[in-house]
Formats: sequence, C-alpha cells, structure tokens
Amino acid sequence: MECADLSALCSRAERACVHQVLPSNRTSKDHSSFDLLRVPVLGRFLSLRHARTLLQIPLFILSVTMILHGLFGPQLAPKNLATTYTWVHFRGALVFVLLFAGNFFCLACPFMLVRNLARKFFRPVRNWPRRLRNKWLSIGLFVTMLFVYEWFDLWASPWWTAWLIVTYFAGALVIDSVFKHATFCKFVCPIGQFNFVASTASPLEVTVRDHDVCDRCQTKDCIRGVRSPAAPLVVIQRGCELALFQPHKVGNIDCTFCLDCVQACPYDNVGILSRLPTAELTHDPLRSGLGFLSKRKDLAALTIVFSFGALLNAFGMVSPVYAFERWLASLFRVNYELPVLAFIFGLFLVCEPVVLIGLAAWLSRTWAGSDRSLLSMAARYSYSLAPIGFGIWLAHYGFHFLTGLYTLLPVTQAALADLGWALLGQPHWSVAGLTPSVVKLFEIGFITLGLMGSLLVSYAIAATEEVKHPVRAFIPWAVLSLIVTGAALWLMFQPMEMRGVAFA
Amino acid sequence: MGLALLLGCRRQNESLSYLTITYEVSPQPPRVGQTSITVDLTDVSGKPLTGAEVTLEGNMSHAGMLPVTAAATEVSPGRYQAIMELSMAGDWNITAHVKSANGLNLERQFDIKGVANH
Repeated sequence: MECADLSALCSRAERACVHQVLPSNRTSKDHSSFDLLRVPVLGRFLSLRHARTLLQIPLFILSVTMILHGLFGPQLAPKNLATTYTWVHFRGALVFVLLFAGNFFCLACPFMLVRNLARKFFRPVRNWPRRLRNKWLSIGLFVTMLFVYEWFDLWASPWWTAWLIVTYFAGALVIDSVFKHATFCKFVCPIGQFNFVASTASPLEVTVRDHDVCDRCQTKDCIRGVRSPAAPLVVIQRGCELALFQPHKVGNIDCTFCLDCVQACPYDNVGILSRLPTAELTHDPLRSGLGFLSKRKDLAALTIVFSFGALLNAFGMVSPVYAFERWLASLFRVNYELPVLAFIFGLFLVCEPVVLIGLAAWLSRTWAGSDRSLLSMAARYSYSLAPIGFGIWLAHYGFHFLTGLYTLLPVTQAALADLGWALLGQPHWSVAGLTPSVVKLFEIGFITLGLMGSLLVSYAIAATEEVKHPVRAFIPWAVLSLIVTGAALWLMFQPMEMRGVAFA
Repeated sequence: MGLALLLGCRRQNESLSYLTITYEVSPQPPRVGQTSITVDLTDVSGKPLTGAEVTLEGNMSHAGMLPVTAAATEVSPGRYQAIMELSMAGDWNITAHVKSANGLNLERQFDIKGVANH
C-alpha cells in the first residue's frame, strides 16, 4: 500500500494502524447473501465502468435546470423547480433510498461529475491538511446548513435554493481541484456526512465477496488503483479515494458507493451485498479509513448532531415552537431572528446533547461498573442514536415527500408551459400527494423503527462491553432513546405552522 | 434549454399594469379556515374596474403543497369578494388573477401574514 497516498486521507493513528497486522474483523460473507451486482440488467449496468457517469449526467442536467428556474423562474416555492425538487422530492427520495438500499445518491452525485471533468484539466497535487483530516469541519458545515436553512427560509426561496446548489458545485470543484483524492466527499460535504451516518441503517453495503481471494491478492488494486503495466505510476482505474481498503472496510461510513473498488478489483471480488441494518454500529473493530469508532470523537459528534439535528430541523414547523421563539425574542428584547435562532441552536444542538448524553454516560458507567472513561462511554454509545435520528429524518422528509409527491408534475408542467412547450399539458393542480392523516401512520412507523434500532444497537453495545452488568449499561441509553422518541412523537402531533411567522 | 428558460419566463399578461389593487381580509387577525378576501380594482384615474373576472389563488411558503383557489364575485363596482379556505397557519401569498371585460390580463400578489390556528 502506498503510504503517501493513504496518509493524505488518514489521521496519524489510522496510518499507524494500517502498518500493523490488522486483526481480522472480517466475517466470511455468506455466499447466499443478496448481491445487487448479480441482479440481471441492474447489476450489469452498475458494473459498467461508466455507470456512475451515466447516472450523474441526468442529475447534472436536472441540477442546472433547478438552478436556472430558481434564479429566473417564479419566486413562489410551490411553483418553482428548485424548491419543489430540492425540499420535497430530493430530500424524500434520498432518505427512502438510504432506507431501502444504500448511499446511491452519492453514487449519482452531479457535483462529482463536474469535479471529474475538471480533473482532466487540473491535476490536484496537494494533500488535505493533516489537522483537517477529521469530521469537525464537515460538522460545522452541516450545522451551518441547518442554521442557514432556518435563517434564510431556504425552503421558501427558490433564489436562495438555487445559490445553495451553486455553492455545492463550487465547493466540490474548488476543493477537489486543489486537493487529491475524494477530499470534498470525505471531509467537507454536509450532504455526504448525512448520508454516511444514515447509511449505517441501510440494508446494502459495498463489500468483499470472498476474503480468501483478498488474502491471495498481491496488487491491492481496490485501494491503489489499477496501474498501467508500461507505466506503474499511471493509474488507469482509480481505487478507493476515501481510503477504505476493502478487506478491512467495515460498514458504510465514508463509503460513497462510487464503485471504484468494484471497477479496480482484478478478481471481481467486490459486490453490493445485503446485510443487517445498523449491525455495523454494534461492534467496534478497527475499520479501514476510520479507525475505531469509540476513539473517533468527531464521528461520535457527527452522529449526535445528525440525531439531535433531526429534531431541531422539524421543530420550526409547529405552533408551540413559534410561541417559544416569540417569547425568547421578548426576553432578549430583539425583533430579528438571528440571536433567537442562535440561542435555539446552542440549546438543542449543544446543551441538550451534552446534558442528556453526559448523564446517560455517567449513569451507564457508574451503574454498570465500567472501566471506560466518561468521554469514551459517551462516544461509544452515541452511535446508538443514529437509528432514531434516521427515523426522525425519515418521518420529516417522508412527510413532505409523500404529501407533496404529485406536485412534481404540475410544477414541471408549469415550467415547460412558461417556455411555451406544453409537452406535458397544462398544470393540473388537483392532487398533491397522500393525505396527511395517512402519512402520519408512516411517520409513526419510521420513528418506531428508529427507536427499535437504537434500542437494539445500545443493547448490543452493552452486551459486548466488558462490564459486570450489561443491562445496567444499556438502560440509561434506552431511556435516552425513549426521550428522543417521545420528543419526536410530540412534534408530530403538534399543529403545523408555516415557518417564518415569528418574525413575519 | 437554459437560455430558453431565461428568455421564456417573463409573462406576457402585464398589460393592465396601470391598475391598482387594494385588499381587505376578514376576520382580523386572520385565522385558519374560511377567510373573506375583498379586492378593490381601480385605474390610474381612480375609476373602478367593473365586469372583470377575478380569481384568487393562495399559496403557502413551503413547496409540495397545492394552491387554494376561489372565484371572486363583484359585490359593488370594482369591488370583488371571495371566500378562501386557508388550510394552515402561517404566511400566505395571494395572487389575484384579473381578466378585464375587454380581455386584458393582470396578476397581482399580496401577502396575508400570521394566519393563526384557532
């Protein structure tokens, strides 16, 4: 393995681990596991060298259309492609694809299409700064995204939504034109970080088919890439740009499903296999490209932000929260949103998790007689919140997706009619989607599923820990998951109110 | 296609741009449910625009929701009233689609902010 390449993406601890004999964390894959790449037609398509490009092109065209309509089209959110496609259909489709399959949106990411094109002209030569080879920057950007979403009312602004898409394209282009490998994906992209955490609950994983084949492999093409026989420094097929060495890759975190490893493997030994969702959170082996989850405070923090951010993002849609905002505004004697919003974010994304997780970690550690430090306990068990966090995101985004599903058609009809191309007929605004009362059942189901996942993961973590009383270790985290679930269900049953009212 | 979008998005029905529109909303403060919206249409000399077809379209601020429409009736010269079902609390954007008796078209938008739950 080429240390120079690998060091660009890994922290010092991870690099040290790579040079050790890595403990075998692998399990022999059951050859009867479902393999998406073996499915007729679809598997064949995904195995094509340019499958990713073929998926990216239509999404790129769609993105450009959304940008233009967002900038120049009607500035009413329900009538604009940018806002409708982004905040209703993209978000909803994203979480459902993560739930039923995997991180296929990263596979089809149009930002990477532009970046790959740019790299034909600009070869990046720099490595991402060592101090930034963690998730802290991306966590900051993720929180910033959530904040800006509320502050600028992005859901209601086609213009700002268009600029958000432009910003993503620009960010991917600039960063990956300067820095090598998939720096933007691994260390920057907020959507990518969301997908990484959520995909821990996905039923599919890009993984090795037969580890015995990897044991015999001398070239390690899956990470080094395929080299030209005449010129070994020339890579003719990329290996994993996110430093995930397949034989020691565990789970979906940091995997963009780019399938470079599939293309690179000379033995066709990498597939998209089925697995038990969230199982990757229940054990803590050394993971290629990541290290130990329990030692990754940044990943734990990302999971916490992901989970509590789910509640926060849904907060602003209900009447009681607007009353709370008005009360805060009178308390602070301000009549503009920024300080109130900053306070709410600080309260629910920092104070609340610190208190709840700190308390759960302390109780768990004390009661169960654990030798772990408090911080290590909190970090390890924080990952158990990922399923309930995902359940809440599913409920929220799923609500907008299912209730607004059919608006895709009249918005598109209207956009084409504006151009004088009534190809799809005149806009027919009669049915938006499923009725909210029906969708509420789905919401309850998603949140319940998330709760079950969190309970199972936290129990599995406790059971594998070396503690005298694993049930006692489990209970505080179970209570925490129940608290988060209760908050989510309470939110769900509050009367909806469109955002921006407090400072309207 | 992008250039076409850029050129094609301007509407061609602003030929009544000299009209002014004022509006009243009842009840006050506005509440979720049936809401009376009255618009007064006058030309630049202050003369009421009579005999027009006026339709009001209400949209919410979040995408994925259907517009609510209501046809207005002329209750007095230049004064048109419609009853609209505002189905959710928050801010509404109302578009008045006006077609004059001689076939000219106009659209005007105004906001109803702070529609509250009961």
